[in-house]
Amino acid sequence: MTYHETSDSILTVENLSVDYDGKKIIQNINFDEKDITRPNKIQGQSIAFVGRSGRGKSTLFRCLSGLEKPKTGKVLLPDMHKHQGEAYPPMKEVGEGDVGFVDQKYTLFRHKTVYQALQFAMRKQKLEKSEKHDKIMVHLRDWGLETVKDQYPNELSGGQRQRTAILEQVLSHTNYIIMDEPFSGLDVGNINNVKSAFKLINESHELNTVIFCTHDIELAVALAESLYVLGYPTLENGRLEPIGTLIKKYDLKSMGLAWHDQLTNRHYDVVEQVKQSILES
Amino acid sequence: MNIKSWFRPFEKISRRHAALISGFWLVLLISFWFIGTSGAKKLFPPPALVWQGFKDLYNEGLVVHIFSSLWLCLQATTISIVFSLFFAYLSPIPAFKPVVKMLSRMRYLPLTGITFYLAMIVRDARTMQIWVLVVFMSLYFITSLMSVFKDIPQQELDHARSLQCSRWEVLWEVVIKGRLDYVIEVLRQNLAITWMMLVTVESILVAAGGLGVLIKNSDKFMNHGRIVALQIVILLVGLGIDWFLDFSRRTLFRYSKL
Repeated sequence: MTYHETSDSILTVENLSVDYDGKKIIQNINFDEKDITRPNKIQGQSIAFVGRSGRGKSTLFRCLSGLEKPKTGKVLLPDMHKHQGEAYPPMKEVGEGDVGFVDQKYTLFRHKTVYQALQFAMRKQKLEKSEKHDKIMVHLRDWGLETVKDQYPNELSGGQRQRTAILEQVLSHTNYIIMDEPFSGLDVGNINNVKSAFKLINESHELNTVIFCTHDIELAVALAESLYVLGYPTLENGRLEPIGTLIKKYDLKSMGLAWHDQLTNRHYDVVEQVKQSILES
Repeated sequence: MNIKSWFRPFEKISRRHAALISGFWLVLLISFWFIGTSGAKKLFPPPALVWQGFKDLYNEGLVVHIFSSLWLCLQATTISIVFSLFFAYLSPIPAFKPVVKMLSRMRYLPLTGITFYLAMIVRDARTMQIWVLVVFMSLYFITSLMSVFKDIPQQELDHARSLQCSRWEVLWEVVIKGRLDYVIEVLRQNLAITWMMLVTVESILVAAGGLGVLIKNSDKFMNHGRIVALQIVILLVGLGIDWFLDFSRRTLFRYSKL
């Protein structure tokens, strides 16, 4: 698949570490994701994080979303408020609300109906009330939520909740959405819904980026353009140091494995390699 | 009808069967009351005496006394819920947290000491009744509300923050608006204690009347029929308030499944 990697970053993490009560959870996290373009296509990106439980994925995600202040280091994103014309926006440190966050329980406001929740998500957009209404209705139709628009979260099925939670973040106008284990506990139909949501998000804006973690390595390889293994590093004595860090990166774009409709044998080879990396860390 | 299943732990039974079981216990209780009080020696006043007590009370203006108690309860509850909510909503703010915690801990203070200071401040006995109840109820309300807010999952706060809510918006959306139904539930649970407190508090001012005054007078003259009749009335009014609050919560807040 043809693509061009620009010199502009969509997400930069520098020397990130987090402590809880003096206990180091993650350290030395460094990576830089570049913006890419594809001919005749709007192409956002999906970045996957995989690793064993307790390796700090959720902590890293809280930092990436600005919900947690790291002990050291920083997370940089393009400042969309300073986006002017053709020029690439300057980078800024992530703050609360810069990045949408969807947790694995698909948390929603318990006192708002689906429509009210989406209306709330759009409250900061400079659009007329009728324009907001039209936009919400279009999305409700596209995401199959029109019939439940006046229902509260406790009246929704798991799949409807999950689509509402993602849609809320899409409409709140953040280009970045983090999903903490979005496939956990979902049936085949709902997994397909989330996969479609990824595609919808990625293809609606050049800078749209979905960052997710999962224990389903095949899904991670199938959906991501970049895949990171988070785990414990091996010390010189052969033991694992119990502090999460990035162990390995798989650039699935440069490997020619991104944007495929079906998984090939090469994909499955990478799945095995990723599993091995996870087991060793 | 498989009666054996009624004795199997965690067995799910139909509504009709559940009503049958409740009916059985009620009949058993009433029978026990009739039979147990039919002999020469009585531990408990017989139904006829209680019925007579009830009729006497009705003729002496029971309904007016019930409304007097309800009015006192309503006044005290309204003031204390406003007071408690104000402090409980301050509890997520670090600067005010110690004050709210201290107020919550003050529920261990004996009421006698508090009434002494209140007596020096308030002008009349009715106000005194209200404020004793307000102080008593508020400390329990604050404790229960703080516990409700403490149990809000971090995910709900993070969800609001990720939707570009400022910290004050998080407080408004998640804690205040998002937990309004819990306020009614807290009120419902604590009102049982308040309702029991009425008896003590209403004895401060006999002239104002109320169920507490009636039961105190009946107790003074050892009129057991009247005492039991009053206890049944107090229980039924209390259950009525409880049902009304639960009904209000379910009607006003469709999303509320507590």
